[in-house]
Amino acid sequence: MAKNEVGIVGIGQTKFTSKRRDVNIPEMIYEAVDMALDDAHLEPNDIDAILIGNMDHFEGINFSEMWCGIDAAPGYLKPVVKVATGGTTGSSLGIAGYYNVASGIYDKVLVVGWEKLNEGGATTGIITAFDPVWERPSLAGALGPLALMANMYMNKYNVSPETAAMVTVKNRGNAANNPFAHLQMPDIDLDYVMNSQMISYPLRLNDCCPQSEGACAVIYANEQEARKIRDNPAWFHSVATAHYYAYGCDDVMFDLPTATIASKKAYKKAGIKDPIKDLDVAEVYEPTSWAELSWTEALGFAEKGKGGDLIKEGITQMGGELPVNPSGGVLSTNPIGATALLRIAEAAIQVMGRGDKRQVPDVEKALGMGFGGSLWTELVILGNEPLR
Amino acid sequence: MAKKKHKKKAFEIRWKTDLPYKYSMGKLSVKFFKVLKEERKLLGSKCPKCGKVHFPPRAVCAECLVLMTLDDMVEVPSVGTLVGFTVVNYPFVDPQTGGMRPFPYGYGLFQLDGVDTYTMHFINEKEVKNMQIGQRVSAVFKDKDEMEGNLGDIPYFEIIEEE
Repeated sequence: MAKNEVGIVGIGQTKFTSKRRDVNIPEMIYEAVDMALDDAHLEPNDIDAILIGNMDHFEGINFSEMWCGIDAAPGYLKPVVKVATGGTTGSSLGIAGYYNVASGIYDKVLVVGWEKLNEGGATTGIITAFDPVWERPSLAGALGPLALMANMYMNKYNVSPETAAMVTVKNRGNAANNPFAHLQMPDIDLDYVMNSQMISYPLRLNDCCPQSEGACAVIYANEQEARKIRDNPAWFHSVATAHYYAYGCDDVMFDLPTATIASKKAYKKAGIKDPIKDLDVAEVYEPTSWAELSWTEALGFAEKGKGGDLIKEGITQMGGELPVNPSGGVLSTNPIGATALLRIAEAAIQVMGRGDKRQVPDVEKALGMGFGGSLWTELVILGNEPLR
Repeated sequence: MAKKKHKKKAFEIRWKTDLPYKYSMGKLSVKFFKVLKEERKLLGSKCPKCGKVHFPPRAVCAECLVLMTLDDMVEVPSVGTLVGFTVVNYPFVDPQTGGMRPFPYGYGLFQLDGVDTYTMHFINEKEVKNMQIGQRVSAVFKDKDEMEGNLGDIPYFEIIEEE
């Protein structure tokens, strides 16, 4: 049992774009950190510890916590810990922040995730994350395995590419309501996705997430401190992590079993019996259109192979029973080290009722998901009151 | 102020250097490549506790936390089933060579007969319409005198017709 209730009390994020040539990494991190501190009415000295995360080798740099994390994070004279777990970097950061405050070790913790993807070669960097002898020769970064997953999913459940394309239409349409989102497309339609180039069958260009640059910063506080800071913190109800085998090919690469395992744990702890009814909004980590179909099934939102029905029936659309990715999701914005932290931050924004045009009405409980590594899942459930 | 006709080129530093690394691939892989080169056979590793056959050979069974040794290596057939496929059709730098990886190329997930895990590798097919999940496939070996004892000795899998 957690020693302390933990609330999110401050959030900052940059406007995500494909290139931020106007700033270096510390300058970019500073924007999000400054915004989060302002949001919580805190000074750097009020923060007890810093957690920072990105995937260095995707940008061809190393030990970034030393030369990027100390000044801008702001880690000067404070404990700083780097967390880097691939696609789940942001959710590992988010969950580590929770542990640091829930345990009673620190009262207030600042968590920063970021990436400047276009300054490096993400596909090249991702290949170096895999086994040098067995996997690197044929691996094509993240999209190759994601294409295999989509191929197996469409074949097993007889799902059409048009059904997957509806996910991109929904999410990039939603992104038009999020001023921070990278790809905002209020007029997107199915043809736009279906007519885009096939880059790794069955993935078309617009079935895939972009490469984004930007940072996200989130401030955590224990209950006593959180109540002093604001009257609407987003409270942690549960967190869950499930990791899988080491090689990408140790098991079939779809149906995301870790999402099923992690969601059962997270729902049980948070008292969620039927996620569609009991959750009000979900920020799902969908690197491809196909992934949202499969991941929402694995999270228990739909039967296997029926993820598309959630969109067709309007359930996961804005105004539906369980809107998925009001922010625009990963298909709109993907700064890798910040991507999964954005899922938690956006879930918190919804719980706090601060989503403006992307706000879902009357959110009491929200889910944020991280995906990455070798089919890893991390989940956070937030609520507008502490779970007692 | 007059508008600049051409954007000034950003400050750029270019360099080229060798960064040699060594990698110890482990006892099981050493034996795998030795047997591949000398006998043109494939070896997997079988968990002595649960019996799960891993290919490529793995040192530890994740579910049992049991160490597999050279004694647990078993021969596996070079034929199996196509489980998933794609045709990679985008450019990127290959960290194995430092140059661009040639594309498009076929890439698949295979399950060899009698093996419990899956194998990612090239497939010598670039036309999606010629591939189907469930097709029978076979690993293709280089000629014996060209074998070097690395994964390149199996350049790709190919789709086969079986009687």
